[in-house]
Amino acid sequence: MKLLQSKLKQLVLVSAWALGMTQLSIAHDMVPGKKQSQAILISGATLHTVSNGVLANTDILFNHGKITAIGSNLNTPANTKVIDASGKHVYPGLISMASQLGLREIESVKATVDIREVGEDNPHLLAHVAYNPDSEIIPTIRANGITHVQVTPAGHLLGGQSSVINLDAWNVDDGLVKGAVGIHLFWPSKPASWVSEKRLPKALTRYQDRLTRMYDYFEQSKRYYNAYQADKHIAKDVRWHAMLGLWQGDKTLYVHATEITEIEQAMRFAQQQTIKLVIVGGNDAWMVAKQLAEQDVAVVYTNAFGLPERGDEDIDQAFKSPAMLHQAGVTLAIGYESAWDSRSLAFAAGMASSYGLSKEQALRAITLTPAQLMGVDKILGSLEVGKSASLIISQGDVLDYQGHKVELMFIDGRLVDLNNRHRQLYNKYRQKNNE
Amino acid sequence: MKKRAFSVSLVAGLLCQSAFADQTSPVIGLHHKTPSLITFTNATIYPTPGKVLRNATMIIENGHVKAIGANIKAAKGSTVIDLKGFTIYPGFIDAYSDYGIDYTYPKQDSKGPIYRIDRIGGNAANSAIHAQMNWVEHFAPDEKAAKKYLKNGFTSVQSAKLDGILRGRAVTVSLGDGIANDLVYKPYAQHFASFSKGSSKQGYPSSLMGSLALLRQTFSDANWYQDAQGKKASKGGERIEYNAALAAISDIEKQGAFFATQSEQSLLRAAKLLDTFDIKPTLLGSGFEYTRLDEIAQLKANLVMPLSFAKKPSLGVAQGREISLADLRHWERSPGNLATLQNSKLTLAISSHGVKGDKFLSNLRLAVKQGFSEKSALAALTTNPAKMAGISNNVGQLRNGYIADFIISKGNVFKDGLIVSVWTQGQKHQMVSMKHLALNGNYEFNSQQNGELLAMTINMSKKKAKVTVKKGDDSFKVSNVAKAIDSVSFVITENKQPVRYSFWLAKDGTTLVGRQIDVNQQQKNIVANKIDNKPDNKSSKKGADDKSDQAENTAYLSKLTWPNRAFGQTSLPKSQKVHLKNATVWTSEDAGILKNTDVLIANGIFVAIGKDLKTPKGYISIDATGKHVTAGIVDEHSHIAISRGVNEGSEAITAEVRIGDVVNPDDIHIYRSLAGGTTTAQLLHGSANPIGGQAQVIQLKWGESASNMKLANTPGAIKFALGENVKQSNWGSRYTTRYPQTRMGVEAVFKDAFQHAKEYKKAQRAYAKLSRSEKKEIAPLRRDYRLETIAEILAAKRHVHIHSYIQSEILMFLRLAESFDFTIATFTHILEGYKLADEIKAHGAGASTFADWWGYKFEVYDAIPQNACLMAQRGINTSLNSDSRDLQRRLNQEAAKSITYCDMSQLEAWKMVTINPAKQLKIDGRVGSIKKGKQADFVIWDHNPLSVYARVEQTWIAGKQYYSQTDDKKRQLAQRIEKANLLGKLLADKSKPTKTAALSASEKMLQPAWQCDDQHDTWLQHVDHGVRL
Repeated sequence: MKLLQSKLKQLVLVSAWALGMTQLSIAHDMVPGKKQSQAILISGATLHTVSNGVLANTDILFNHGKITAIGSNLNTPANTKVIDASGKHVYPGLISMASQLGLREIESVKATVDIREVGEDNPHLLAHVAYNPDSEIIPTIRANGITHVQVTPAGHLLGGQSSVINLDAWNVDDGLVKGAVGIHLFWPSKPASWVSEKRLPKALTRYQDRLTRMYDYFEQSKRYYNAYQADKHIAKDVRWHAMLGLWQGDKTLYVHATEITEIEQAMRFAQQQTIKLVIVGGNDAWMVAKQLAEQDVAVVYTNAFGLPERGDEDIDQAFKSPAMLHQAGVTLAIGYESAWDSRSLAFAAGMASSYGLSKEQALRAITLTPAQLMGVDKILGSLEVGKSASLIISQGDVLDYQGHKVELMFIDGRLVDLNNRHRQLYNKYRQKNNE
Repeated sequence: MKKRAFSVSLVAGLLCQSAFADQTSPVIGLHHKTPSLITFTNATIYPTPGKVLRNATMIIENGHVKAIGANIKAAKGSTVIDLKGFTIYPGFIDAYSDYGIDYTYPKQDSKGPIYRIDRIGGNAANSAIHAQMNWVEHFAPDEKAAKKYLKNGFTSVQSAKLDGILRGRAVTVSLGDGIANDLVYKPYAQHFASFSKGSSKQGYPSSLMGSLALLRQTFSDANWYQDAQGKKASKGGERIEYNAALAAISDIEKQGAFFATQSEQSLLRAAKLLDTFDIKPTLLGSGFEYTRLDEIAQLKANLVMPLSFAKKPSLGVAQGREISLADLRHWERSPGNLATLQNSKLTLAISSHGVKGDKFLSNLRLAVKQGFSEKSALAALTTNPAKMAGISNNVGQLRNGYIADFIISKGNVFKDGLIVSVWTQGQKHQMVSMKHLALNGNYEFNSQQNGELLAMTINMSKKKAKVTVKKGDDSFKVSNVAKAIDSVSFVITENKQPVRYSFWLAKDGTTLVGRQIDVNQQQKNIVANKIDNKPDNKSSKKGADDKSDQAENTAYLSKLTWPNRAFGQTSLPKSQKVHLKNATVWTSEDAGILKNTDVLIANGIFVAIGKDLKTPKGYISIDATGKHVTAGIVDEHSHIAISRGVNEGSEAITAEVRIGDVVNPDDIHIYRSLAGGTTTAQLLHGSANPIGGQAQVIQLKWGESASNMKLANTPGAIKFALGENVKQSNWGSRYTTRYPQTRMGVEAVFKDAFQHAKEYKKAQRAYAKLSRSEKKEIAPLRRDYRLETIAEILAAKRHVHIHSYIQSEILMFLRLAESFDFTIATFTHILEGYKLADEIKAHGAGASTFADWWGYKFEVYDAIPQNACLMAQRGINTSLNSDSRDLQRRLNQEAAKSITYCDMSQLEAWKMVTINPAKQLKIDGRVGSIKKGKQADFVIWDHNPLSVYARVEQTWIAGKQYYSQTDDKKRQLAQRIEKANLLGKLLADKSKPTKTAALSASEKMLQPAWQCDDQHDTWLQHVDHGVRL
């Protein structure tokens, strides 16, 4: 612990120096952690395993980037570093789904934003291609316990594909955990209630046309799939080629849908086409919670701090939706369809917990369930022997503001620098006029 | 002119075309001298509301009533019309119309936003001010349009072009035929006004509060202009400008203003504004008056009600899922609105504006059925609008010497009567032929074919004649029914032969005579005898239906709440005496967080805080064991509860606009934020311009009126802004011409404004010192609301809350304020405040920031979540604000983030959302902490309020409980039941949905999520909504 602390201190110093050099740096100054070279034992902590309950006063040992043992009085290899974490809490690294992290830096500055391509038929686009591992935002997200994100494009209709990335990497090559985990479809929305009567007919036509085009894209891609099954050497259409996995059943379709009509349409569509569906957004999902559970459609709920969708709706509807979905048996993840504010992911889960979701379920919604949905649960999402040593130590309850103090983070056993632009600026200006 | 004269001679149904002709037109052709003397006998006459003459006589001549009464003989030589069974009413008057005005304002070409308009003929500086227009100059009769009015019984209207804020002076005219010279009743009637800028493309005003400010300045200018006539503008001898618009309204106090509004809140706003300038208001209502009846009934105003009722909501495919409770309620209750108003102080009139065709009479009858008395209805259509339109001394009643504008109806026009003819200035406009009406009835005749006796009923009242023929109980199929000018004909099949019958009235006036023709062209004369009008089954049954309808309609399924929407209060909370027992009390004072503590509340204030207090008599006690009690949360920066525009973002300086003018007490976010523990919010103007508008502090007293929500006696405050928003960085390529476009320019704008305000005050003082004789020569200084507001800042009577992000601009404004010798109240947002903490502290300003926002634009790239901590550490009075509808529901969590990110103490964190912002608003003497003698605004939480798990159980303001979680649950349930009932009623209602000009409740409540930098033009968007006022 002592060693680690001094190492952290050193890092802080290094970055403070770097900040002095460049006012607005292109790359952030935090250096990715070195490969785990010795076994680490975190002792005496409360382990929130997710898969196996909460274990009080238990040790966890990891080596070569993987968790090797959980329990008490563990056999440790020679030269094991011991971190005394008595009274503290260990969690698997949090996973932020539907994130635009690394794709947009400053929302209003176009040059820094790479989230949405032109056109409606872009299933082949890979979000991680544009991912900027040096985004200043990334270290601020890590500082709040998030180790992995699903880097997700935005778009109109077929927007592209998302990938799972670890947040402590030199570049995409070493950051990519799993590429192209799902195709993202942005379901057309009905004209808003405030569209004037005069403009409504046109808006409705546009809406219908967009729906028609969308179904047509899927039909075309299905035709491509059929032809491809018969002959692997047909002329390649990059768009429909990217969608083969959907029809083969090994790729997930993430449908971004908030309003009930969109969700219901998407459910019918997926049922007819036997496509594996996950709803992202899900503001109105509570209305069809039972049906979602029956059809085994998971929801990545991104409205944890939202407002009710309608004036008449229960004022706490957005807060209690996660609990309602879970109680109905829906597989639930909690996510953030944005970049900088996704650092509040743990609090979003806490909020859901305040409104009826158990703390364990709330934690699962930002760890193991995301890992399962994206097919990386063999390595991520819980504290289990054999899984990646991607975990965090928090002073207290990570879901609550006062307990949420992420003191240490490991990704694949590597110690992650939790410093960030914000801490650097804070430390800089604390020194102003201090002589 | 030629064309019009020609059309006069073609007018059909003209009984006495030359009766009321002008005196100056030369006669072309022959002189028409048909006598115009007519006596109507045996009529039921309503000469004036509340009075009825039976079997009465009315004599008219030359377009006027000559005599009226029960015992009057027919005038010698007159044409006598027997009106037995008919009723005469005075003609209806519509005080709000644009009849006969065909005019379009010239358009100004511009690719970018328009800041200055073309100045022509001494017009006003704003192109929504058309006060100089006299609509009489543009009036010409329009036969087609007149017919639509006449059909519904209207004989005259007050008319102007309905476009703009001050719309010019209306003209009151007859709806008759003829030339304008004969039809103008009152050339200069009321001034028309509204809040909507209409077709004006000028940027200013872009918001409702901007419209109010523009009106205020213009009315004030008119007074000044009047005073200034014949004087010089200054000692130097400058001329007073010529201003046609101001000249036109210099007597508006006497002339009265007709103000069109679109919601009950805007109606109240208009009434208040007009009252400030002693202008007698005539207000166009919206149909929502019943929702705030207490306030509206107090107004001493004329109220003109359009008869467009709420739209019938459409169920949609989801069985009403998307219909709001407010819409359902309004649908059920809007026909009853007039009835609720009739016992108020208001003088009521009815307008057909926005109601098409038959719908007017059917809606009128619906309103009467809902309890609006016939007497009130008649007054609202005759005497009352006559007063408003300035013609009550000769129109609106049937009296000797009054103009012969009247309606003849068969039956009661307020129930099911038929308007037979409408007379304008003694000219008849026949709606239904008397000859046709005479054919109506039940008859029997012998058929040609077999001599069988057949029963026949004829109804000629509608456009299409209706005939039934029966043999015993068997009906014939009646086809080819045709109306001729004096007869009716039809075909029935007898003995497999089609036979055509035609009937007309015999000389006796009751029997029908006619003929029948078969296919062989065999003709036979035939007689149909009238059968006495027995009360047949059908009509008596209908009567019974009517009664049950009435019973059903008066029993509302909907509740009326304040505001009248989901989650509204069924009654307003009362002040209570409360003993809170054994709570953890977060005082927000030096006393800190007190465990196991009691609090006593009475008369709206905290009366004692201590341990183990006894419950005084008359107090209710609340066991707060395990609960946390805090002061209500105070939000320095909020944009909820604002109607139609949070930014008057058109010009760089708009200090004259007032958020206080446009507080919207119906906003659901008041309730939602209350449920998050917020009790006080400063409603700020947006940040679209360097000097925005005046702020308003409200308390979230859900259910109360707008004025009751305002926290009284708060010091003035104003929004300033810096940075990207004010220099229009993210407004798109259209917005590149307004000064300033750089941070350099922003400073210059401020400096110039303050300097000018200083000089303005100096000039005011100089004028006050002038001698009486000098004052006779020199005009008073024009009151400038914009400069006056800025001058208040320099006099420390108004405090600046300045939207600011980066350190350069913060420092600039600090130094600028110091050079003008005032202290900045609060830097709001102030995301780089941590870089200048000591400088801000030294100046003495407060700082109100976001907990963790950053990255959304370039100027917030250096924002850090430790900002609040660092500023607080350096001694700045620091608070956290929401600037958002959803953050305002959880400011407790925002405060907690300073513990997460930089280890602030719980007490300090909590102060950042209570006492600290209260200090920034300079209301900390009254709210913001739990302290003996302070207003009892408090929240009961189930957890430590700085936890994500904390939920509000109750929120109290001034000792009244405005929110409780238990009550909210009950409301949620009750609303579901109420909605289901109303949806059931809606399903059972088979009437077709019709178009209506009226806003639905949800359209009225439609409010974009205002944020600081929203700067779109509310009025242009409004026009887009197809709503015309």
